[in-house]
Amino acid sequence: MGNFFPRWTNWLPLKLAVCLGFVVVGAVVGATYYLTPKYYRVGYEPTQPVPFSHKKHVGEVGLDCRYCHSFVEVSSHSNVPTNQTCYNCHGPDKGQVKKESPKLALVREADKTGVPIQWTKVHKTPDFAYFNHSVHVNRGVSCQNCHGQINEMEVVKHAEPHSMGWCLDCHRNPENKLRPLDQITNLTYKPEQLNRDAFYASLKDKGIKEEQVVKTLLGLKQEDALPADAPKDWGKVVELAAKTYGPSVTQKEVGTQLKDHWRVAPPETCAACHR
Amino acid sequence: MKRIWHHPEPLKTGRRYWRSLAEHENAPEFQESLGREFDSSMEGMSDGERENSRRDFMKIMGGAAALSGLSLVSCRRPLAKVVPFAKHVEWIIPGKPLLYTTIIPRAWGATPVVVTTHEGRPTHLQANFLHPLAGGLDIFAQASILDLYNPDRVKGLTYRKTTGDAAEAGVSSDWTAFQSQLAEWSKAWVASSGAGLALLFNESVSPTQARLLSEIKKSLPKAKVYSYEPVRRSASAAAVKSVFGEGVKLLPQLGKANVVFSLDCDFLGLDPQSENAILDFMKNRAPGKSSDKMNRLYVIENRYTLTGGVSDHRKPLAAALLPMAAAVLADEIGKLTGDSALSESSRNLSSVAGAAKLRPWLATAAKDLFANKGKAIVLAGSTYGEEVHALVAGINNALAAFGSTIDLLKVESETTNTIEDLQSDLKAKIIKNLFVLTETDPVYDALGFAESLKVCGAEVVKLAQRDNATVKLANWTLPSAHYLESWGDARSSDGTYAIVQPMIQPLFNGISVNELLLAIAGKKELAPKKVEAPAPGAAPTAPISDIAYEAVKETFKVISGGWDEEKWNLTLRDGFLVKSSYPKAGASFNGSVITAAVKKASPAQEPDKDSFEIVITADATVWDGRYTENPWLQEAPDPITKLTWDNAAWLSPKTFRALGLKSVRYENSKIKVTIGGKTLEIVALECPGHAHNSITIPLGYGQKLANIVGNDRGFDVNALRSDSTSFVLTGAKVEASTELYELAITQDTYTMEARAQVREGTQERFIKDEKFAATEGMDSHIPPANLALYKGRVGKKQNTNPEAEDYNPEGFDYENNHQWGMVIDLAKCIGCSACIVACQSENNIAIVGKDQVRRGRVMQWIRMDRYFATTDSVDSDPSLEELDNPEMIHQPVACQQCESAPCETVCPVNATVHTEDGLNAMAYNRCIGTRYCANNCPFTARRFNFFDYNKRNPLVETELPIVGKVRNLYAGPLGEKKPQEVVQLQKNPNVTVRMRGVIEKCTYCVQRLEAAKINQRRVARDDASKLRIAADSVKTACQASCPAEAIMFGDLANEKSTVNVWKENPRNYQVLKYLGIRPRTSYLARIRNVNPEMASVENDRVRKTGEASLYNF
Repeated sequence: MGNFFPRWTNWLPLKLAVCLGFVVVGAVVGATYYLTPKYYRVGYEPTQPVPFSHKKHVGEVGLDCRYCHSFVEVSSHSNVPTNQTCYNCHGPDKGQVKKESPKLALVREADKTGVPIQWTKVHKTPDFAYFNHSVHVNRGVSCQNCHGQINEMEVVKHAEPHSMGWCLDCHRNPENKLRPLDQITNLTYKPEQLNRDAFYASLKDKGIKEEQVVKTLLGLKQEDALPADAPKDWGKVVELAAKTYGPSVTQKEVGTQLKDHWRVAPPETCAACHR
Repeated sequence: MKRIWHHPEPLKTGRRYWRSLAEHENAPEFQESLGREFDSSMEGMSDGERENSRRDFMKIMGGAAALSGLSLVSCRRPLAKVVPFAKHVEWIIPGKPLLYTTIIPRAWGATPVVVTTHEGRPTHLQANFLHPLAGGLDIFAQASILDLYNPDRVKGLTYRKTTGDAAEAGVSSDWTAFQSQLAEWSKAWVASSGAGLALLFNESVSPTQARLLSEIKKSLPKAKVYSYEPVRRSASAAAVKSVFGEGVKLLPQLGKANVVFSLDCDFLGLDPQSENAILDFMKNRAPGKSSDKMNRLYVIENRYTLTGGVSDHRKPLAAALLPMAAAVLADEIGKLTGDSALSESSRNLSSVAGAAKLRPWLATAAKDLFANKGKAIVLAGSTYGEEVHALVAGINNALAAFGSTIDLLKVESETTNTIEDLQSDLKAKIIKNLFVLTETDPVYDALGFAESLKVCGAEVVKLAQRDNATVKLANWTLPSAHYLESWGDARSSDGTYAIVQPMIQPLFNGISVNELLLAIAGKKELAPKKVEAPAPGAAPTAPISDIAYEAVKETFKVISGGWDEEKWNLTLRDGFLVKSSYPKAGASFNGSVITAAVKKASPAQEPDKDSFEIVITADATVWDGRYTENPWLQEAPDPITKLTWDNAAWLSPKTFRALGLKSVRYENSKIKVTIGGKTLEIVALECPGHAHNSITIPLGYGQKLANIVGNDRGFDVNALRSDSTSFVLTGAKVEASTELYELAITQDTYTMEARAQVREGTQERFIKDEKFAATEGMDSHIPPANLALYKGRVGKKQNTNPEAEDYNPEGFDYENNHQWGMVIDLAKCIGCSACIVACQSENNIAIVGKDQVRRGRVMQWIRMDRYFATTDSVDSDPSLEELDNPEMIHQPVACQQCESAPCETVCPVNATVHTEDGLNAMAYNRCIGTRYCANNCPFTARRFNFFDYNKRNPLVETELPIVGKVRNLYAGPLGEKKPQEVVQLQKNPNVTVRMRGVIEKCTYCVQRLEAAKINQRRVARDDASKLRIAADSVKTACQASCPAEAIMFGDLANEKSTVNVWKENPRNYQVLKYLGIRPRTSYLARIRNVNPEMASVENDRVRKTGEASLYNF
């Protein structure tokens, strides 16, 4: 009785194992790359029917976000502007601009027919998640925090992963993102640009006491007792801030103050976003 | 293996609460089903399911997963579009709901509502609390929004050549063709000054409609107008007319009455007296402390009604004997008040032999009424004859009720012809053109109408919302607009004028009754006008004016006394015109007519086993049949019988057994009813508290030409009737049939281990022991530190002083968070089930169909438990006598939001967790469907999606090769699997539509709470002191719909919240408190204001000697 299996089969199990190893590694790498929002969402940059340039309108002309996304402060949904909004500047009347631009052909047609332009959605929340714009922009979260440097984008692209973990990062540590309410739509905002005196003065204007600010500066909870040597007047408070955070204002400094005094407590329970 | 959980033995109090007869009798099948999440016998795999056993399922799923992995389709990002408006639409903010007020026109008035619209889609109705007659919504009003999205609405015009030929299919037509036909008819009408033109309506209180009709009659004086309602109220109107003269309307003011006596008047249920009657009655019904005064309610009726359930004293009496009871009561009142004329006039009915048996009960009640003279009221059922209403008017007059507990209002007298007149006119062939403008279906609900149509030779036009029997016999079928699609108006029962405003363009091209009237009057062109697109750059053309809108404005001008734009806008905004109610009438009472009315009536015999009586009533879920295509209503359990999807003949258990009928797991025997040569085979159902030898059959079922929702459900009682005016038929023969019929009854599903959780007491007991409810039964000996088995935060966070007794650093944060809680007042809850439908509408809850209901898979989040109370103790044998007149009490149960929730600890994937504001939240997208939570829920408040009910229509059947017809749910991948597009429009965009394999349950309308919190933070911005929402500013859907205001919800952490006042009420108790799970929902015990003098005359409420007194429960 001869050998039942030919000789080459001796190495077969090993070869199979090696191949399988490649397949498994490939699958893991592929899944991580293709199936996690960090990779598959970020960089999504669909072509829009009208080549509207945010870089031009926001970065160069200096339009405020709310000029077009007018309901972002009152509604869950940040509306895409109606055709009428485009026509405020690009309409056929006297004094309006780029009336004949071929790029605006679709806008003119939509105005004539009344059939709206279908834009391609870039940022899409899943159906089971309920995101609300108004509560974020009214409580110190900027457009830029979630949508990136829109003012530098010729075509809007997905800048952040918008995954649940990413949301929770900020919900757990909002101080890393919060900024004063007048800076929400300032896409070039840097905390260093803030004037420290003015920042603390604005807190004072809102009726916040020195000791509250000091507690935050010292990293204490609001219900904790104030140490005896704590500064008592606003001048000293600013000094203490400079001592703690260095010469220029930092995000941590602004964020912790706003979080404590606006009582920002982002929900972390399921019901906040899933209903 | 199922672990049996042992509750402590319930205490023997001499009083027992039970939900079904099987439970009452401790039937073996009931014992077995106890503690099971679903009824095992019905849960067993069906043929379809058996094919795919669990093992096969795993094989197939494994294969499918592998295949889907290969194709990687799911990796591509789906392309989504954003479509803004081209021109901005006023008021619309994408993502925010818009609320409008309107009214629902009803035969007896107008229900004020607020409509929630999302981007132009109406999705939910709520009561308009600005309206002077605001009083929640009843179940029909609440569900009426789904009729708008009925996929089987009439969508276009149809023309049939011959009248009355159901076989003819008809050809589709258009408005232009109808308009030219109408023009042709008009010529003839003008020539004959309207002779041959007939219009048939349902009863309505629309001033615009009345104005348009009078205009038509002015130009076409010979045109005839007919009106009718299948559930008649004409006898009561006739009695009022004969007693007070023309143009008087009675409006009961139940809030002013100390004693209410109802002669089969279901004023809390199916015989509404005004929009706010329930709320008004409940004013003096729910004591906050033991010294609060309560009103008292006596009821005589043949079957249990919701009013009977609330009553303090109830007497089951055959409906045929009710006129006699009215006469005896009149006699007694006459004696007490010295009104001998009244006593005398009742003589014809009160002196018959059977009356003696009733007299003691009625005399005692009469004494109570007399003692509260000026603060008492007697009501009679609308469907009873003129003699009853005349007698009741006499009694009310003797009790000085008119002007105190009953308002006399001055209305315009109107005389319209009845449907009987129409039928004789049709048969006499004097009608050439008949316009049937009814919401109802006269061929189905008006006897003999089909025959009249067949012989009439007239051309019949039916304005119809749904395809029904009349449509099949008419020449022209026109699509009708829903009230949410059209302009109109109506008056509430006190006369307050309000506008019906459209929320949406007609979905299917329908027109309203007013529009058709305008077309008949030649004022409106029905054919669509061609609209040319304006030339580029040209000024926009003026919008085509809506003539129906102009007509309503014209009426408004007349009613409000001149045109005032601001007033008009306010009326539209607030939903009513201020100070537009009817003026008080100065009519004088004319008692002399009572005698004549009573003389006309002949005394009836008590029904016996050879001569049954049949009582015909409106149905609690489909009314007279007009709501038959509404799946929410079909699946809403009848509040008394808990029957869904069908009607049945209600019998008392004694009669049921005397006839030898059977009922095993709700497979019930049928009976054959014969009366005057007409027969009906109908399934029989045992109803405790029903009069013997009396059979109640609700209207509205057995329709043959409805859509899949309403077709062939139940049995048509009209088959037994020989005229549409009588609702009590006597002399029926009843035989048992061997045939069985399956009923889908929900009362044995989701039992709480048969532990009755309702608590009630008499006022006497309440005065003796104010906190009796909180210390009853097991609750009397709960250890002070009653810890639950289940982990979780409990109580209020308190971490300042570790030494203090209430030190609780892990508790809920009342300082910084809202803490939601609910209280349900069982004294006010009547069990009407409007909350069930409100919840369904708000939370996108699917319907599951009759078969699934029978399997115990009904999805409604609120379960309305209906308990009967008998006085036997647990160890004694249940006896049949106890079922003669048990007491009834309802309790709505939804998720109780336990603080240490048993469901949360068993979830393997953390899909149900607690929020910091005390909600037991569900993350549907996380749920994998283990159902552990449902098994562990002591309130059985969780529902499981066994199928994708939203995508697969559970009502249809699918034709499969080889196997044949299979229920769609069980057809697997071969079944129809797409959501119904029109129905989808109703869905609330703020709530996830759940799919198969997911548990769902009440979350206190978390979407509303989150919206309120978010809105508050949006407004507060950087002001941290404003983060708490205002007290009582957010309502759950059930709370907003409750017509009795029995549900209170709010923020426990806000001391201004009314819910805290309710929680402090001495009647407050928690269900299953001894488990220590600390539910956030609690209940207030019901108090019955029992008249101690009744004890000696109330012999049908069985009491065993030596046990706790019936009158001290």
